[in-house]
Amino acid sequence: MKSLKLTTCLVATMMFAGTAYAVETYGPFPVTVLGYDGEKENSVSYSGQIARHVLHDSLKKLAGKGNGGANAAELEAQMLSYFNGSETDLPIIAPASKDGVPVKQTMLNEISAGKNIAGKFYDGSMPAWPGEMTGKEVILHMISHAAKADGGYDAVNGYDYAQLISKFTMGAMPYSQAVDNYLDEKLGEGVKPNGQAYKTGAYYTGKEHVWDEAFGYFGAASHSMRLSAEDNYNVAKLRDLGSADLNGDGVIDLKTEYVFGPAYYAAGADKSGKTAYMETMMGAFIEGRALITGANGQNLTDQERAKLQSHAKTIADNWELVLAEATFKYAGSVYKDISAITAASSEEEQAKAFRKYVKHWGELKGFAMAMQSGKNDLGKTAVHLNRLIGFGPVTLDGTFVSGLDADGNFVKERKMSWNSYQLHMLRVQELLAKNFAIEARANDATAELAGLLESLSGDGGAETD
Amino acid sequence: MEFLEQLPALFSDFANPKKRIFFGYLALSVLIALGWLTLVRKTSIAEALRRIFDRRVFFSGSAIADYKIFVINRIFTFFISPMLLSQVAIATGIYFFLHSLDFLNPAAFTGVNQATVVVLFTLTLFLFDDFSKYLVHRWMHRFPVLWALHRVHHSATELTPVTVYRVHPLEGVLYTLRGVVVQGVTIPTFYYLFGSAVSLYTVVGVNVLVFIFHVSGSNLRHTHISISYWPWLEHLLISPAQHQLHHSVAERHFDKNFGAALAIWDWMFHSLHLSSGEGELVFGLDASEGSSASSLKTLYLQPFHDIFRILRRRVRGFYGLAQRLMTRV
Repeated sequence: MKSLKLTTCLVATMMFAGTAYAVETYGPFPVTVLGYDGEKENSVSYSGQIARHVLHDSLKKLAGKGNGGANAAELEAQMLSYFNGSETDLPIIAPASKDGVPVKQTMLNEISAGKNIAGKFYDGSMPAWPGEMTGKEVILHMISHAAKADGGYDAVNGYDYAQLISKFTMGAMPYSQAVDNYLDEKLGEGVKPNGQAYKTGAYYTGKEHVWDEAFGYFGAASHSMRLSAEDNYNVAKLRDLGSADLNGDGVIDLKTEYVFGPAYYAAGADKSGKTAYMETMMGAFIEGRALITGANGQNLTDQERAKLQSHAKTIADNWELVLAEATFKYAGSVYKDISAITAASSEEEQAKAFRKYVKHWGELKGFAMAMQSGKNDLGKTAVHLNRLIGFGPVTLDGTFVSGLDADGNFVKERKMSWNSYQLHMLRVQELLAKNFAIEARANDATAELAGLLESLSGDGGAETD
Repeated sequence: MEFLEQLPALFSDFANPKKRIFFGYLALSVLIALGWLTLVRKTSIAEALRRIFDRRVFFSGSAIADYKIFVINRIFTFFISPMLLSQVAIATGIYFFLHSLDFLNPAAFTGVNQATVVVLFTLTLFLFDDFSKYLVHRWMHRFPVLWALHRVHHSATELTPVTVYRVHPLEGVLYTLRGVVVQGVTIPTFYYLFGSAVSLYTVVGVNVLVFIFHVSGSNLRHTHISISYWPWLEHLLISPAQHQLHHSVAERHFDKNFGAALAIWDWMFHSLHLSSGEGELVFGLDASEGSSASSLKTLYLQPFHDIFRILRRRVRGFYGLAQRLMTRV
């Protein structure tokens, strides 16, 4: 009797410990597929999404490898092999090992074979870019121009292709796929049902894998919930092996221990201390997965599905906010960069300030496009955002890209003053703050002004003599 | 109970160095008055104290009305807060507008050292604020509709530091709006030109110049302690005696000394009246104004009645003129 009690106690403790573990990390979750007789014990699987993040990170790196035209054809082909995927295995260009921070995988197939970005890229209308193109046509246009540019930098038109390609892709692939597919219609009844394996022989159910894929696109480490915003940020920057290396094997496993783009930007906003996007989104992902696992290989009830969809909504809403926060932040950077350009005392200093401005503008533009690649039609907000940011930044001669010619080259037929463009940036921030419940608001160009007003309020100005 | 919980908030201005009736400023005013009466006027300390804490003043019907108005007007602060929101709107609007001036870049003067910016900002804000007080005060006397409101302040027949709160709520709204406009214009303009270097030189959280105004006895202007400055100084700063003269019923004192801290505005626009050679003053309004020193009903409601009467007269006048024109045509 006594030993039975002890066993019960031990089992209970282990279960409790198991639950606590599950609450803090995304997985492991047990296999629930009915009739599964394989050896797998953990049903979590999202390596395909990680492979796509790696393709994206590598593509970004390649976008900065042009030498002004000489290697254009070769580079474009190489970039397209990462975009479209390749028959042969591809080396991982990024994230790659740094001094003291080794990365486990060096070849793409070590993560997942046969993956590409193209098949998962948003291909709806993208009016933010000149030429009346779809999302996929826009990214191919960018890739082609990036290959011709010097180090991905086009000083004439004011483009930083690595930033444009990367930030746009962050919306057009992971965000779009997650919020407009996996967390949307694929959660529906009868689609990838939980009562069946995802595909014949799979060790995960339909809904388990759908949810895992959405999580994979978010790009957080499985233990990101345990890490501070600062730690998550440093893991993404490959600066902190200790925080990343969950299993203590001395290397970062990209499949579970690394923080990719979307999650990195959630952590970036959270560093302000004003938001908790990472915690909110990770929490929803983990609870959602636990809910599916809890169905034990049965189809979800209406109630369970409704709960799951509410978690999905939390994730999608917060994801959109993360993108809006990033757009807001870079509008503020661009504002500051213009002040630096106009205040520059030498041509060299100005060129340096302009380079920084072009980089930040690329991020601003990319994120603004990312926001328009999701499930929500931003309508009027998108139109205003695109008009304020423009097809290109105001360049040193006051002109900016106004469209494409018949050959797809940029045309700069419009001019604007620096001041007016700075005002546009203020309006971008105003527009975003008005339309999205963003709280971090990094680089808020009018926050200091509001602070000054606040500090001077109630000074007895109403006293009458 | 809830009322009791609100009590400290009711009297919070006495503990707030941003307000004129902060107890520290009141205490300093007592010391200054004591010094003035004993050293300059050569009265005994006992006599000086008797005059400073004159029961006939502090327990007069007029003063008691001041105290009641002080409490009642707290309710109207609810209407003031939304206006401070409009200050942010004005400031942001102006900040945005300045960007349309292509000849002037934002932060064009970021090179200027911080101390210069702080001194410039502190001085500008003080001057602009003081001038706007002069101007609005002048208008309060000049325009009948505004005078109907401002008369409440002038109906005081005894002056105490609390008289500064003896203001019709609508006038309080106008004065708050004045502050909103001044800060709403000055702050974004400086911020636009000088960037984040902009800040105020403050003591206990107050503009240093306002602080000087308060510690040098700003409360004494609403008392019976008639402190005069040298004539040359009364061209620059309004002395307590000069402001008391502004409250006088004597016709020769009408529409004089509108200034708050500085006398230069009165000097520039010919409304300055020095304090020397004036005897004992009688405060309040001419009987023809039909106001009251102590009836709250009259003080709060009469302005509405008067404003209505003025506007009706205007409308009738306009209607009559239109009719005459029509018959001629």
